[in-house]
This record gives sequence, C-alpha cells and structure tokens, in this order.
Amino acid sequence: MLNSIEFFVGEAWTGFKRSGIMSFVAVGTVIVSLTIFGVFLMGVVNIGSIMGTISSNMQISAYVDRSLERYEVENIKNRIIKLRGVSSVKYVPKTEAWNKFKDEYGKQLNLDSAISDNPLPDTFIIQVEVPELVPQVAKQITGMPMIGEVRYSGKLLDQIESLASAVRIGGVILVCMLSVATLLIVINTIRLTVIAREKDISIMKLVGATNSFIKWPFIIEGVIIGIIGSAFSFAILKSSYDIIILQVKLALPFLPLITDQAHLFMIYVIVGCVGIFLGMIGGYISVSKSLNEFN
Amino acid sequence: MIQVVNVSKKYSNGFEALININIHIGKEEFVFIVGPSGAGKTTLMKLLYREELPTSGDIIIDKINVAELKSHQVPYLRRNMGVVFQDYKLLPKRTVWENIAFALQVVGRPRSLIRRQVSLALELVGLVNKAGSFPADLSGGEQQRACIARAIVNNPPLLIADEPTGNLDPNTSWEIINLLDKINRRKTTVIVSTHNKNIVDIMRKRVIALESGRVIRDEQLGAYGNAK
Repeated sequence: MLNSIEFFVGEAWTGFKRSGIMSFVAVGTVIVSLTIFGVFLMGVVNIGSIMGTISSNMQISAYVDRSLERYEVENIKNRIIKLRGVSSVKYVPKTEAWNKFKDEYGKQLNLDSAISDNPLPDTFIIQVEVPELVPQVAKQITGMPMIGEVRYSGKLLDQIESLASAVRIGGVILVCMLSVATLLIVINTIRLTVIAREKDISIMKLVGATNSFIKWPFIIEGVIIGIIGSAFSFAILKSSYDIIILQVKLALPFLPLITDQAHLFMIYVIVGCVGIFLGMIGGYISVSKSLNEFN
Repeated sequence: MIQVVNVSKKYSNGFEALININIHIGKEEFVFIVGPSGAGKTTLMKLLYREELPTSGDIIIDKINVAELKSHQVPYLRRNMGVVFQDYKLLPKRTVWENIAFALQVVGRPRSLIRRQVSLALELVGLVNKAGSFPADLSGGEQQRACIARAIVNNPPLLIADEPTGNLDPNTSWEIINLLDKINRRKTTVIVSTHNKNIVDIMRKRVIALESGRVIRDEQLGAYGNAK
C-alpha cells in the first residue's frame, strides 16, 4: 500500500512537471478563483457580523438642535418616555459624548490633533422595547420641538441587508462561474498528462493494473494543482485581509469587523478544501473520460 | 488450459478476421501460430488477452470465459498472462529495471518482492548488466528480451508473444526463440505467432496455421508448411 502511494505521488509529480505551462495556468486559475471565493466569503461573514451588531441594537438617537436648559431636557424626556414602546430615555450632553468617544477611539484616530472642537450634538438615547416599534417611535420624536435629526439602525439595517443579498447573489454566481472555469482548465491540463502517458496507460492495462489504480496518479496531480493554488491564495488572502482590516479599523473604528483568527482560519480552511476538491474532481473527470476512450 | 470454441470475429468495417475457429491448447504447451499477414494471427492473440472481444463463440482460459468477463475483471485475467509484442512497447523514459518493475508496481506488489523478481527476470533473459540502461540504448534483441522479462516477471502460467522476432535479424531471432523455449521448459504455456519459416521448421513444435481467418492446419511437431 505504502509502495503504491509512493508510486502514485511520484507519477503525479512527474505529470505535473511535464505539463509545464499548462500546470502553471491551472494553478493560476485556481489561485484567482479561490482568492475571489475567499474575498466573497470574508465579505459575507463581515456583513453578517455588522448586521448582527446592528439588529441587536433597538436604540434611537435624537440629536438636539441647540444647547438645552435643564428644565427643557426634563420636559423632552418626559414627553418621550410616555410614547408607546419606549423603555428608557437617557440624555447625553455633548461633552460627555465627546469624552466617551475620545476614550474609545482617541488613540486610534489621533483625535486631539485632528479636531479641536467638539463636533457632537447633545443627544437623547431612547431604548425601545421591540424592534418593530422603532420606526414609529422615531417618527413621533422627529416631530418634537428642538429635536433635529433622529437616527435609528433600522434604515441602515435595510441598506446593509440589501447590500448583503447583492453580495451573496453576485458572489454565488461569480464563484459558480469561476469554479466551472477552473474545473475545465484543470481537466484540460491533466488531459495533457493523460495523452502524454497514453503508452504508459496501455501498458499498465496490459500488465493487469486496475482502472482505479491507473486513475490515482492523475487524481493526485489534480490535488497537487489544488494544494499549490490554495497555498498561494491563502497567502494573498491572509496578507491583504490583515492590511485592509487595519485600514478600515482606522477609518471606521466602530465597525464590528472580524479579526478573530480562529474565525478567519475557518475561512482559509474552507477556501483550501474547495481548491483541493476542484483539483481532485478535475483530475478524476479528466482521466475517467480518457480511460473510457482507450478501452 | 485454453479452449477457443466456434470463435468468429468481424470488425465494425465488415472485415471478417476470424471465422469459426476451434483450438485447444494444453498446459505447458509451446505453440506456433503461423500464416500470412491478414490471416488473423494478431486478432487471435488479442482475443486471448482480451484486447478484443469475439463476435461469437467462447474463449476459455483456466475455466474462465474471457469473452464474458466484465471490464473490471480483465486486469485479474491479465495478471495471469504475459504479453510480448513485435514493437516491444517499452517505456522510453524508464530504465530496463524500471520497465520490468513497472509491471509489478502497477499490481501493487511490495518493494522487496519487486526487487527479487526483477533480478530473477533480468537474469533469466540475460540483461543483468543492462538494468540501468534506457531502451533507446539497447539493441532490438535486448529490447525484446526486456519486454519478455516484463512479461514473465510476475511468473504467469501463460506467455503470449505476437510476432516477437518480426523486427529482428536471424541470429537475434534465434536468441529470442530459444529464450521463449527456455521459459516454456519452466512450465509456462507459450503461444508464439510468427512469419519466420526457418524457426518454425527447425523448432518442430505444434503449429497452427491460419489463412483468411480459418484454421487450415493444426499439427504436433509441425512445420511452417505451405502457408505463405
């Protein structure tokens, strides 16, 4: 058994080298497809993470037009708390909001040197009991005196949801097309080896090798293409994701992007498995087709 | 050992290569199949190692009806026979040793056995000192001996040689025939198709003569005879 595996791998490696440029084309195609697949996967999980954070947030922010006196604050608070579905109202003066913001993101954004004045308005933070009531409550607050802009995550959630479904549909179509293209190129590459090995195969058959035995080196050749493609694709995805995430974190620090290495590792593993699987299937289809022709 | 019963073979282009052939070959026999080109010798050989299927009739080797074998069973039939060709069919990028070992590797034999069997086969055919050479560096006779070594390395009970001396000069042809005779004396059934009148006449073995797809003669201790 061990001898056979050694034989298969040796034959597969010889075939891979012998196909020369076609092998490189096949590996290149695998790299491109897997990288796009990886980018798509990462997009989907990150959008999922952002949506998860937003939808768990049943909060409305109502920005105040100007500075309020203490009684005005109490007045508005009382009016808001009476609205149906509101569970709590909190007034956040702009100095408090600014300090909190600086505490959270000041270091990353180098705020002190960039902005000297506090750009934030005084804000009422309204907590709503159920997500369905959020738009209604927001509408009622919008009509109140001294309230300027009213924001809640629902609108954003809708926008992100439509973006997410566009990414998902577009991604699935793209990945399917690329998989087919990759598969075809792998099949043709290995077919070159099969043709170059026609004589070997006919002799193998004559001396009593089974078809499954004959197939293995070609399947392994496909796996070699898949492994090399996956490795490069992993390197590209890992390095570019790390760089991009760093930039995005600097620009939009509040976005809950995925940086958890275990989570990312799963994505790389999926991408790698898809690559190896494509190579394997390509090799199998190619040699099966040819073996039938030789019979 | 081999029974060919009422076998006919008609190719898809309408050519009738064999017409109602009946042959019985016993264990450890040495048989020459003779006849002019197109008589059906090669077709008969191909039917034996199931490269081709008969249009009708049965081919029974060791109680197995070869014509009825499913394609996944064919490899196991071929492990019990060695086949030698006029054009040797050696792999050009492998050494003699590797070419012979290949026949054992592809049937999954362990390495230690491969080493032992290949050495024995090389010794039998007299190619020990050429083990590391590539086919292109060998003479025709040496290439044919390498081909024979590959055919017998698995110790099959049956050896089929299709025109093994077709590309060789008379002296080398004799070397090859003597080698096949030596293998036969080691209790292997040997079937040789040939054009070589001189060899057949001197060897005095069983001769089956084919002409236009029919058996026209089957003699023990026969000669090439009138077949052209």
